[in-house]
Amino acid sequence: MIEVRDLVVSYGTATALDRLTLTVGRGEMVALLGPNGAGKSTLADTLAGLLRPAAGTVRVDGRLALIPEGRQLFPDLSVADNLALGGWRSGQRDPSFVYELLPRLAELSSRRAGVLSGGEQQMVAFGRAMMSRPDVLVVDELSLGLAPNVTADLAAHLAGLNRSHGLTVLLIEQNARLAFELCRRAYVLESGRLVTEGPCDELAGDPRVASAYLGGAIT
Amino acid sequence: MSAFLTYLLNGLAVGCAIALIASGLVTIHRVTGVVNFAQGTFAVVAGLCTSSLLGLGFPHGLSEVSAVLAAGVAGLLTGLAAIGRRGTTPLSSLIVTLGVGVLAYAVEIVLWGDQPRSAPGLAGSVTLAGARIQTHYLLVIGVTAATFVLLALFFGRTYLGKALTACASNPYAARVVGIDVRRMGLLAFALGGVLGGIAGVLVTPLRPISFDTDVTLIVNGFAAAVFGALTRPVIALAGALLLGVAETMAAGYGYGSHQLEVALGLMILVMIVQASRRSAISEEPA
Amino acid sequence: MNNRAGLAAGALVAAVTLALPAVLDDSALAVYILLGLAAMVTVGVSLLMGYAGQVSLGQGAFYAIGAYTAALLALAGVPPLAGLAAAPVAAALSALVIGTPLLRLRGHHLAFATLAVQLILLSLAGQLEFTGGDIGLQGIPQFGVGSFEAGGAAVYAYLTWAGLALVMLVTRNVITSRPGRALRALATSETAAASSGIPVGRYKLVVFALSATFAGLAGGIYCFYTGYVAPGSFPVLISIQYIVMAVVGGLGTIWGAVVGATAITLLVQGLDRLASLPGMPTYAPSVLSYAVYALVLIVVVLFMPRGLVPAISARLAKNRKELPYR
Repeated sequence: MIEVRDLVVSYGTATALDRLTLTVGRGEMVALLGPNGAGKSTLADTLAGLLRPAAGTVRVDGRLALIPEGRQLFPDLSVADNLALGGWRSGQRDPSFVYELLPRLAELSSRRAGVLSGGEQQMVAFGRAMMSRPDVLVVDELSLGLAPNVTADLAAHLAGLNRSHGLTVLLIEQNARLAFELCRRAYVLESGRLVTEGPCDELAGDPRVASAYLGGAIT
Repeated sequence: MSAFLTYLLNGLAVGCAIALIASGLVTIHRVTGVVNFAQGTFAVVAGLCTSSLLGLGFPHGLSEVSAVLAAGVAGLLTGLAAIGRRGTTPLSSLIVTLGVGVLAYAVEIVLWGDQPRSAPGLAGSVTLAGARIQTHYLLVIGVTAATFVLLALFFGRTYLGKALTACASNPYAARVVGIDVRRMGLLAFALGGVLGGIAGVLVTPLRPISFDTDVTLIVNGFAAAVFGALTRPVIALAGALLLGVAETMAAGYGYGSHQLEVALGLMILVMIVQASRRSAISEEPA
Repeated sequence: MNNRAGLAAGALVAAVTLALPAVLDDSALAVYILLGLAAMVTVGVSLLMGYAGQVSLGQGAFYAIGAYTAALLALAGVPPLAGLAAAPVAAALSALVIGTPLLRLRGHHLAFATLAVQLILLSLAGQLEFTGGDIGLQGIPQFGVGSFEAGGAAVYAYLTWAGLALVMLVTRNVITSRPGRALRALATSETAAASSGIPVGRYKLVVFALSATFAGLAGGIYCFYTGYVAPGSFPVLISIQYIVMAVVGGLGTIWGAVVGATAITLLVQGLDRLASLPGMPTYAPSVLSYAVYALVLIVVVLFMPRGLVPAISARLAKNRKELPYR
C-alpha cells in the first residue's frame, strides 16, 4: 500500500507538491489525474525514492516499481538486457516469468530497445518494472502517445495483474477515460495541490472534471 | 622495407599505450559525463610504482600488477573528488580532476623525486620479415589487445558491465531500476585508473616517465578519444593506433621535431569538424 | 556594497597601491609586479569563464604571444612603448584568428583545444630560430619612453598597476554596457541567449579576444621587466594558475580576480619562504606550490563554487541586513 501524508516537494524555491495527502490500499488500483505540470511525475519520482520530500511522510509497504513517463528504456541495450536490469533491486535476472506474462517480449528479446515501436517500448517498460517482483506499481502515463488498441492491451494486462496477483497500482494519467475504466477511485491534482477526490463514477459526473479531462459531459 | 616494418610495429605499440589511456577516458566519460584530466596521472603513478617495486627486488608480474592496482585506487580517489559531491557539474568535475592531477605532482615529487625513471621491460628482440623488433613492443601490443577484448566482454556480457552501460545510456532510468549511478561512476573511475595503469606499466620500459609526463599522455589520449566522440572505444582505438603510427613514422623518417604539433592540430581539426556537424544536425529541426 | 562605501574602498586601495612601490624592497617588489601581472591575466580569464562560460586552459599562450611580440620588436630596435603597445594587439589578433574556428567548441573540448594551442605554440617557440629556440630571447632593453629609461623595479610596479587599472576599467565598462548585460545570459544558457537574439558567437569571440588582450599586455610588461623570455617561462601550469586565481576570487567579478590573484600569490610566496628554510628538502618549494594550487582549486570548486569574494560579500550583506542573499 501507499500512504502519503502532507507531502511537500520542491525544486529550489519552486514548490512542485504542496501538502499532498493520498492513500492507495493493499490490492487497490487508484488513479491520479491532472494536467501537465500538475506535479504528477514529481510524485512518481518521490514514491520511487528519486526525490527527497521537503516535508511530510511517504510510506510504501513492500517493494515499489515505477514505469516512468516516456518509457525511459536503455535504448542501446537489448530487450533482454533491459529486463535483466529491471531485476537490479531484487537480484532476479532471469526474465522468463515476464516472458510468460507478456509473450510478445520473448519474441523481441534480442532486439535493441531503442528501435522498437512506442507500444513495444511501453511493454518493455512494463516488463522491466515487473522484473523486481513489485508489490506496488506506479504507472506514469501508460497511454501517452500510444494507439488506443495498444493502450487497451496493456491496460488489460495491468488489470489482470491487479486482480490475480493482488498488485497495488497507482495509475497516473492524463487520459481520464482510461483511468475511470480501470479504477474505482481517483485523485485530481492541479498545480501541486489536490483539488478533488472520490469514487470514479462520482468524479465522472462532476462538471469540472468532465470539462477538464473528458472533453465535455460524459454520456 | 624492414625499417618501415620496425617503425610500424613501434608505432602500433605507442598507439596501444595511447589507446589504453583513451579507453580509460571514454569509460569514465560515458558513465559520468566527466572528462578526466587526471587520466595521464594514473599511468604516471603506475609507471613510477613499477620502477620502485622492481628496484626493491620484487619480481616481475607482482610489481606490475600491484602498480596497476595502485593506479586503480588513484582512479577511485579521483572519482571521489570529482563526482563524490552531489550537484557537481561535469565542467566543475573537469576542473577538479585538473586539481587532482596537480596534487599528484606534489605527491609524486615527494615519493619519487623529479627525475625521469625507467623500468626494465621484456628483454630481447625478435626478427620478423627482416625487421628487428624489441620483444617488449610485441608484449605491449598483445596486452593491449587482450585488455580491449576483456573490456568488450565486460561491457557486453556481464551484468555489472551492462549496468555501467545503462548508466551511460539513460542515467534517469538507471536510477528508476535502483542502480546507484554515483557508485557506478566511481567504479568507472576505478576502471579508468586500472586502464591508465596498464598503459603506464607498459610504457615505462620504452620511455622513461617523470611526474609531468601526464600532460603528453592525456593530450594524446584525449586526441584519440575525440576520434570516437569520447563515447566509442573502438573508434578511439583506431584513432590511437593511427596517432601512434603517424607520430613514430614522422620521427623515424626525420620529421620528428613537429610530431606533437601535427597530432594536436589533427585533434583540434577533428573536434571542429565534429562540432560543425553536430550544430548542423541540431539546427535541422528548428 | 553601497556606492559611497565602494568609492571610499576604491580610493583606499588606490592609495595603498600607489604607496607600496616606494616602501617595498626589491624582492618584495618582484612579488608585487608578478602579482599585478597575474591579476591582469586573471581578470580576462574570469571574464571568459564567468561571462562566456568557457574554460581556457591555454591563457598562458596569449601571455607568451604578448611577451615574444614585445621582445622581438624591442630587440629589433623598435621603441619600447611601441613594442609594449603591439603586445596586446598581437595577442588580440591571434585570439581572433584562433578563436574563430576554436569557439565552435564548448566545455571540455574547448578546454583541451586551448591547452593544445599553448602546447603547439611552446613547441614552435622552442624550435624556431627567430624565437631563440629553447634558450629564448635575451638582452631585451629596458622599458622607456623617449629619453626616459626605466631604471628600477618601482617603475615596472607602477607600469604594471597602471596596466591593471586600465584592464579593470575596460572590463567594468564592458560588463555594465548593454551587450555586457546580454553577455551575462551567455554563461547561464547559450540557447536561451541565442533565442533572445543575442549574437552569441560574435560576443564569445569578443570576450575571448579581450581576455587575450589583457594577457598580451601583461606578457609585454613581463618581458621588459625580466629582460628575457623563453618557452620555459610559460608552462601549462601557468594557465592552470590563472584558473585557480579566477575560481578562488569568484568568476565574473573584477575585484574577485584581483583578490584571487593576490591571495594565491601571497600564499605561494609565504610557502616558498617556509620551504626554503634550512632543513627543508630541495624539492619543498615546488611540492608546496603544486599542493597549494591543487588543494585550493579542488576545495573552492567543490565547496565555494561562487568564489571567495561573492561568498564573503554575501556573508557581509547577510550580517548587515539579516536577509538571505538575493
